[in-house]
Amino acid sequence: MYNLQIRGKHIHGDKSLGRISTDIIAPIDDKTPLWWSAAFVVSLGLFGWGIYSMYITVTQGIGTWGVNNTVGWGWAIINFVWWIGIGHAGTAFSIFLLILRQTWRTAINRAAEAMTVVAVGCAALFPLLHMGRPWLFFFIFPYPNTRGPLWVNFNSPLFWDFVAISAYLLISASFWYFGMVPDFATIRDTTKSKVKKAVYGFFSFGWTGSSKQWLRFEALSFVLGGIAAVLVVSVHSIVSTDFAVSVEPGWHTTIFPPYFVVGAIFSGFAMVLTLVALMRKLYKMEDFITDSHVDAVCRVLIFISLIMGTAYLTEIFMAWYSGSTYEMYTFFRNRIFGEYAFQFWAMFICNAIIPQLFWFKSVRSRLWIVFIISILINIGMWFERFNIVVTSLSKNYIPANWASYSPTIIEIGLFVGTLGMFSAGVLLFFRYIPMIAISEIKSVSKYDKEPDLTQFLSHETQKNQAKH
Amino acid sequence: MNKYMVGVFNDEFDLVKAFDQVKASGNRIDEVFTPYPIHEVIVKMGKRTRISHAAFFYGVFGAASLLGFMYFASVISWPLNFGGKPTNAFPSFLVVTIVGTILIVTILTLLTFSIRAKIFPGKKADIVDLRATNDKFILVVDSNVPGFQPDKVEKLLKDNGASEVYLNVESPAKL
Amino acid sequence: MDKTYWRSLDELEDPKALRIKEAREESKQKSLLYKKSDEGDSGNSRRDFLKTLGFSLAATALISGCERPVNKAIPYLIKPEEITPGQASYYASSYFDAGDYCSVVVKVRDGRPIKIEGNELSSVSRQGTSARIQASILNLYDGARYKGPQRRSKNIKWHDADLEIVKTLNEIRQQGGRLVLLTQTVISPSAKQVIAQFLNAWPGTAWVQYDAVSASGMLTANMKSFGIRSIPDYRFDKAKVVVSFGADFLGSWLSPVEYTRRYTDARKLDAGQRDMLRHYQFEAAMSLTGSNADVRFPVKPSEEGGIVLSLYNEIAKAKGAERLNGVQSKVDVTGLAEELLENQGKSVVISGSNDENIQMLVNGINQLLGNYGQTILWEAALQTKKGTDHEMKALVADALAGKIDGLFVWGVNPVYDYPEGKKLEAAIREMKLSVSFAERQDETARACEYILPEPNYLESWNDLEPKSGFYSLAQPTVAKLFDSRNAEECLMAWTGQQGSWADYIKNRWKTEFYTRQSEYTDPEMFWNYTLQKGVFEPGDSVTGTWEASGLPAAASGLKDVQTGTEVVLYESIAIGNGKYANNPWLQELPDPVAKISWDNYASVPVAFAKEQGLENEQVITINGIELPVFVQPGQAEGTIAVALGYGREYAGKVGNGVGVNVFPHAAGQNGNRQYYLVNAKIEPVAGKTYPLALSQTHHSMEGRPIVREANLDEYLLKPDAGNEMHEEFEKKHVTLYPEKEFPAHHWGMAIDLNSCTGCGSCAIACQAENNVQVIGKEQVRNRRIMHWIRIDRYYSGEISNPDVSFQPVMCQHCSNAPCENVCPVAATPHSSEGLNQMAYNRCVGTKYCINNCPYRVRRFNWFKYVDNDKFDYNANNDLGRMVLNPDVTVRSRGVVEKCSMCVQRIQEKKQKAKLEGRMIEEGEIKTACQQSCPGNAIVFGDLNNPESRISKLFKDKRNYHLLEELHTLPSVGYLTKVRNKA
Repeated sequence: MYNLQIRGKHIHGDKSLGRISTDIIAPIDDKTPLWWSAAFVVSLGLFGWGIYSMYITVTQGIGTWGVNNTVGWGWAIINFVWWIGIGHAGTAFSIFLLILRQTWRTAINRAAEAMTVVAVGCAALFPLLHMGRPWLFFFIFPYPNTRGPLWVNFNSPLFWDFVAISAYLLISASFWYFGMVPDFATIRDTTKSKVKKAVYGFFSFGWTGSSKQWLRFEALSFVLGGIAAVLVVSVHSIVSTDFAVSVEPGWHTTIFPPYFVVGAIFSGFAMVLTLVALMRKLYKMEDFITDSHVDAVCRVLIFISLIMGTAYLTEIFMAWYSGSTYEMYTFFRNRIFGEYAFQFWAMFICNAIIPQLFWFKSVRSRLWIVFIISILINIGMWFERFNIVVTSLSKNYIPANWASYSPTIIEIGLFVGTLGMFSAGVLLFFRYIPMIAISEIKSVSKYDKEPDLTQFLSHETQKNQAKH
Repeated sequence: MNKYMVGVFNDEFDLVKAFDQVKASGNRIDEVFTPYPIHEVIVKMGKRTRISHAAFFYGVFGAASLLGFMYFASVISWPLNFGGKPTNAFPSFLVVTIVGTILIVTILTLLTFSIRAKIFPGKKADIVDLRATNDKFILVVDSNVPGFQPDKVEKLLKDNGASEVYLNVESPAKL
Repeated sequence: MDKTYWRSLDELEDPKALRIKEAREESKQKSLLYKKSDEGDSGNSRRDFLKTLGFSLAATALISGCERPVNKAIPYLIKPEEITPGQASYYASSYFDAGDYCSVVVKVRDGRPIKIEGNELSSVSRQGTSARIQASILNLYDGARYKGPQRRSKNIKWHDADLEIVKTLNEIRQQGGRLVLLTQTVISPSAKQVIAQFLNAWPGTAWVQYDAVSASGMLTANMKSFGIRSIPDYRFDKAKVVVSFGADFLGSWLSPVEYTRRYTDARKLDAGQRDMLRHYQFEAAMSLTGSNADVRFPVKPSEEGGIVLSLYNEIAKAKGAERLNGVQSKVDVTGLAEELLENQGKSVVISGSNDENIQMLVNGINQLLGNYGQTILWEAALQTKKGTDHEMKALVADALAGKIDGLFVWGVNPVYDYPEGKKLEAAIREMKLSVSFAERQDETARACEYILPEPNYLESWNDLEPKSGFYSLAQPTVAKLFDSRNAEECLMAWTGQQGSWADYIKNRWKTEFYTRQSEYTDPEMFWNYTLQKGVFEPGDSVTGTWEASGLPAAASGLKDVQTGTEVVLYESIAIGNGKYANNPWLQELPDPVAKISWDNYASVPVAFAKEQGLENEQVITINGIELPVFVQPGQAEGTIAVALGYGREYAGKVGNGVGVNVFPHAAGQNGNRQYYLVNAKIEPVAGKTYPLALSQTHHSMEGRPIVREANLDEYLLKPDAGNEMHEEFEKKHVTLYPEKEFPAHHWGMAIDLNSCTGCGSCAIACQAENNVQVIGKEQVRNRRIMHWIRIDRYYSGEISNPDVSFQPVMCQHCSNAPCENVCPVAATPHSSEGLNQMAYNRCVGTKYCINNCPYRVRRFNWFKYVDNDKFDYNANNDLGRMVLNPDVTVRSRGVVEKCSMCVQRIQEKKQKAKLEGRMIEEGEIKTACQQSCPGNAIVFGDLNNPESRISKLFKDKRNYHLLEELHTLPSVGYLTKVRNKA
C-alpha cells in the first residue's frame, strides 16, 4: 500500500492527465537534439568495431582470441553472463515490484524493460560467436534429422541455457511491447504529424482503450507477469549451472544459482540507475523520476550488495571448510592473493563495499555520486564474472596445465561492440518510444491528489489498480 | 443507423458515478473508453475473460509434451551414454521442461490474446473519441433501445460531471 | 615434382573439373545469347532466360560442388597384387642416420608409407623407437628434398653427371691430385665394400668418416685399452648399479633406444621383481637421463676427470691396484666406490666425455670391477660411431690449405656443424670437384658443384650392421618420389661397375651371409625370409684383452678443473645434430625436461639467475652468441647448457633460422672435439627478450597426489607405498545410479611411471598415427599444442638438484566422463566399449568439454591448420599431406579433438578377428604410443578379460587413477614411480 507521507508524490508539478501525455511524448515530438545524434554516431562507431571483430572471429577462427587449451572460455562468456545479468533489471522491476505493489515503479519500468531487451540481445551474440563453428549453431535445436535421428544432449547446461535465453528474450520483449501498445495509441491520437500517426497507428494494434481491451490486456499482463516472475529466477539460475554443474574448482558449488540471480538483479538495478540518471538530466524528467525514485533504487542496492558480500564470504568459507586442496588453491592462492588478486579485489570492493555508501542520505541525494557508483557496481559485476570464468580455469586440477589468459584486441573489440550496440539501442528507445509508461503513470497519478481520495476508493479497488 | 450518446468526463471518479446512475436508470451502456484501466468499470461492464485458464492449459500441454519428447528422444529414439548417467536423466529434463513450458505458454497466450481481443499490427482502430487515449474518459450509452430519452440521459451525465455530451453516429470520430 | 608421383596424374583428366569448365562455358554463351535476343525479338527471350537460368544454376551447382575437397583417388587399372586398397601392408626395414639405429617395420597404405613401427624381431632395438625415428616418416615427404641431380643448381642428367665427374676424376688423377670421400659412419657392409672398390679404382682417394657429435675419444681409449676401435655392448639389464658421467644414455648417447629398454627392464617391478637397478648420474645439464637418475650430482664438465680419477683410486685402493696421480677432486666418492665394489661384475660405469683420458680411466674402473664380460661385452660391439676427430681435423686443414682437389660429401654437413665450417664452405667452392649426395637441402650441399641426391631410406635398399654380428636389411617401401640415386650406385658407376645397388646387396647376401647360417638351405629362401624378418643375427665372438699401461698417462693427462662458467653443448632429444631440422614434428616436440619447442636456449642454474636477476626469455650473450635464458632447476652451479642442432641456415622452410647454431664452438681439444666451453663470457643484454614456446609453465605438483612415488625400501615393505590413498578413494566412491556396464570389451590402459623415461617417442608416434597437426611456435606459446599425449614433468625436492617425475597424460576415457555431460550437441558420448568418443563433424566447438575435463587432454582446432598458408608445415602441401593416415579424419577448424585410444586400430583388429571367427587375443591390439615406447611403459588391453595383462596391472598395489577422488572412473591407470635412492 502506497504511503504518500513517506514516499512523496509520484509526479511533481500537479500535472493534468493531458499534460502527462504531452510531457512524456515531448522527446518524440521534438526534433532530434544534437547530443543525441552525436552520441548515436559514436555508438554506431563502437558497434562497427564490434562488427569488424566478429568478421575476423568468424572468418579466421577463435584462435584470434586469447583463450587456450587450459582457459577455454574468456571474455566472450564473461560478457555473456554480464549482459544477461544486466538484462534482468527490466523483468525484475516490472515483476517483483509489481508483486510487491510498488506503484513508484511505473516511472521506471518501461526504461528498465527496454534495457532488458537490448542487453539480452547483446548477450545472445556471445554464445554464438564463441562457438568454433558458429555456422552449425542449429545443431543445438533438437530437430528430426537424417543422422539417426541424433537428438541433442538434454543433460547439458548449454542446452538449458539456449532454451532459457530464447524464452527470456521472447517474453521480456513481448511483455515490454504489449505494455507500450496503449502508449502508441496515445501518440497516434495526439500527434500532429501524418507519418507518426501512420507508424504509431500501425504499432498500436488498433488500440482504443475500450473496457473489453483493458480487460484482456490486464489478464494478459497478469499471465505474462506471472510466468516472467518464474523466468527471472530460473534464467540466471540456469546460466549459473553452466558453471555449477561442472567439476572445476570454484565452479562446482550449490550457492551459484541464488548467487547469480541476486548478482544479476544487482547489476540490472545499477544499470537502471545509470539510465534513470541520464533520463533525468538529458530529458528533464525530474517531475516523473523524482528523487524518491532514485532513493528507493539506492536502498534496494544496499540490500542486494549486502547479499553479494555475504555470498562472496560464504564461497570463501566453503572453500576453506571443504578442505579440498583444489578449492582452497583456487580461492586463496589464485583469487585472493594470487595472480588474479586485482580482479578479485576489484569485484569485492565495487560490489560489496562501495554500495554501502548508500546508507548515507547525502550520497543518495547527490545524483552524480549515485551515477558514478551505479557504474562502479557494473564494473565490479564484470570482474565478478572474470573471477569465476578465468581464475577457476587457469589453475585447475593438474598443475602441468596451468596457463594464464589475457584477451586480444579482437575480444576487446567484441565487448566494446556490444557496448556500442547497447547504447545505440537505448538512444533509439529514448528517441522513438515513450520512455515512461504513460497509461500506467496516469493510473497512479491520482494517488498524488489529496489523501482522502484514497478512502474514496474501496480497498479492493486500490489493490487492483496497484497491480496494474 | 445506430446512434449512441457519448459522455466525455475529465475524471475517473465522475465517470464511475455516472456509470452507476446511467445503469440504474435502466439504460444500456455500450462501451467505456479510458486512458488507463478502471477496475470498477471493467467489473461492472460484466465482461469476463478466460485467458488465464487458457494459459494454464497451455502450460499443462507444454510441460507434458516437452517431458514426453525428451523421454522419447533420449530413452527410446536414440539412447546414448553421457558420462555414465542413466539415459532417463529425469532431473536434468526438468530444467528444460520449466523454461520450455514458459516459452510455449507465452507464445500461445499472446496468440490467443491478439485473436480474442482482435488486436494485431496495423489494425485500424475504430475510435469513438480521440481523447479517450489521452486525458478523457468516454462513456457510450446505447440510444437505440426503445424508450430512450436523450435529454434525460444527457442531464444525468451532465449532473455527474460530464464535460460534454453529444450524439454520435458510429464515428467518424469527433475532434 | 608433379609428374613424378601418381597422386597428381588424374589432375589432367579429372572428369569433374572438365564438367565444370563446360558448364561455365555454356552458361557464359547462353547469357550472351540472352542479351542479344533481348534486343531483338522478345518472343523467345523468356524461354532463353529460363534456359540460361537453368544452365547457370547447373553451373553454380557444379562450381560450388568443387569447393569441397576433390577426392583425387583413382582406381587401379591393373591392381598390383601386394596392394589392397584400404588395407595396410607392412615391410621390415632399417633406419640409420647420424648414429641413430633402429630396425623398423614400415606401414604402407595404398602405396604410401605412413607410419614407422619398431621391429619386434630385432634384439637391438626390440620394437622400441625414438621420437626422431617415429618422425623420420615425414622426412620422406619433406619439401626440402632435392628433386633431381644438379650441377651448380642447374638440373642435369645422371648420365651426363657420371661422364663429367669421371672426366674430372681422371684429370685430378693425372695431376696427382687428392680426393677425399667424406661420409658419416658407414655401418653397411655392402656399402663398405663399394667404398673399398671405389678407393681402389681411384688411388690417392682418402675415406674420412665424420660424426658431428663424435665418440672419437672413447674409440681411441678403447683402442688403447683393448685394441678394439669400437664401443662395447652395455648390458644395463644385467647391472645393479649404473654410474654415468655425463652420458645421456637414455636420450642421445650412442644407442638410446636399446639402452632405454635394457634400463627399464632392470627397473620394472610389475611382474614380481623385487630388485631394481640403482642409477647415479654426474652431469652439468639436466638431461633426460639425469632426470631419471636415482642419485644425481650436478657437476661442471671439467670436474668430471677429477671425480673419475678419485673413484678409480678408491677402487684401486680396495683392489690393491696402484693408485694414479692427477688432478684432485673435492667430491667424496668413497660411498659410491663401496657400492660399486659390492656390485663387482654387476655394475656399469660410463662417461659421455669425448676426452680419451677420462674414457680410459672409466675403462680402468670397469676393468677393476670385473664388469667386462659380465655387464660390458665385446661381442656385439656397437658400430654406429666410427668417426675420428683428428682425421677430420687434418682433412679440414688440408682443405683450407687448398691441398684437396676433389671432395665427395655423403650424409654429413661439416659446413654447418664443424668449427671452421664457413672457411670450409669457401674452400669447397674452390675445389676442382665437389660432389654432395645429400638427400635434402643442407649448407654443405649448397657449396658443392654437383648435388646427386640419394633417396630416402624408405625408398632404397640397404644392409646394416649396427653391432658386430647383428645385421638388418632395408628395402624400399615406395617408388622413388624424386629423381634420386643411391650414393653407392654412383660410386659403382664411377668404378665402372654394372648392375644396380639392389642386386649388389642381394648377391652379396646370397653368397656371403648365406654361408653364415644353416637354417635355410636355399640362398633365395634365405634372402626372402631375412628380408621379411628384416634382421639376421648370427652374432659375433670378439673379446678384448685388457692393456693397463696407458692409465698413468691418462691420469696425468686429465684437464684441470676450471673456475669460470662452463657451457655444455648437448644434443637435444628432438633435433639431435640438426640434420632433420626441417621436420616440423621434431621442431614442435617439447624438450622432455624444459618443455620448450621450436628453439634452443641457454639453461642457467636457478641461483645464477637469481644473482644476475635473469628471468626466462631474457636474452644473454655467451661469448658473443645471443641466446634466450631458461632458468633450469638442477643445472649445475657455474654451468650453462645450450642445445646443438639449431640455427640451420639452409634446411628448408620449417628449419631455417630456428634457434642458434652453437656447433662452431665445439672446438677440438687434444685431437678430440670437446662439447663444452670453459671460462665463457656471460653478459645479459639489457632489456632484450626473446619469446620461448613453453608448453608447461608450472613445475610443482602443489602437494597433489598426481604422480605418486615411493622409494624401493618402502615399496618392499608394503607394495602400496605412496599409493595408500587409492584404497581410501575406492572406499569413498558412492554413486546415485548404477554404474554403466560394458558387456563386450572395456578397453583400458596402464602406464608404468617407473618405465617412462619421458623421451617423447609416444607423442610423435601418436602424431603420425592420428594426423595431429603442427601449429607452430606462436601457437605453442599460446598454450594450444595439439599433441594428444603429453608428458607432464614435475620437480620436487630442492631446486638446485630436484627429483624429476614424468607422467604421460592422454584422454583417460572416464566411465563417468565430465566432458560428455556438458556437450550440448551430443558430439562426445561414451562407446559401449568404454571409450570416450568424439564425433568431429557433430562438434560445434563450445569448448565446454575442454573446460570440464579435469585432465585438460582435449585439444581445440583454434585455426584451420590444414591447407592454410599461415601454418605452412607438412599439412599445407600435397607432398606433406601424403603422410596422413587415411583411417583418421583430418579435423577441421573449430572442433575439439583428443586421444581416441587409436580406435581405428581397435576396429581393424576387431574386424580381422571377426573375419577369422575368433576372439581378439590379448595384446593383439597395440596403440601407437604403446607400440613406440622404448621403455615398454604402456600396456593396453581389455579390462573385461581377467587374464589380460591390463587387468593384472589394475589389480597391482601400485595402480592408481589420476584424480580418482573426482570419481570420474578413468580407464587409464598409473603404476606408482619407485625410486631407488640409497
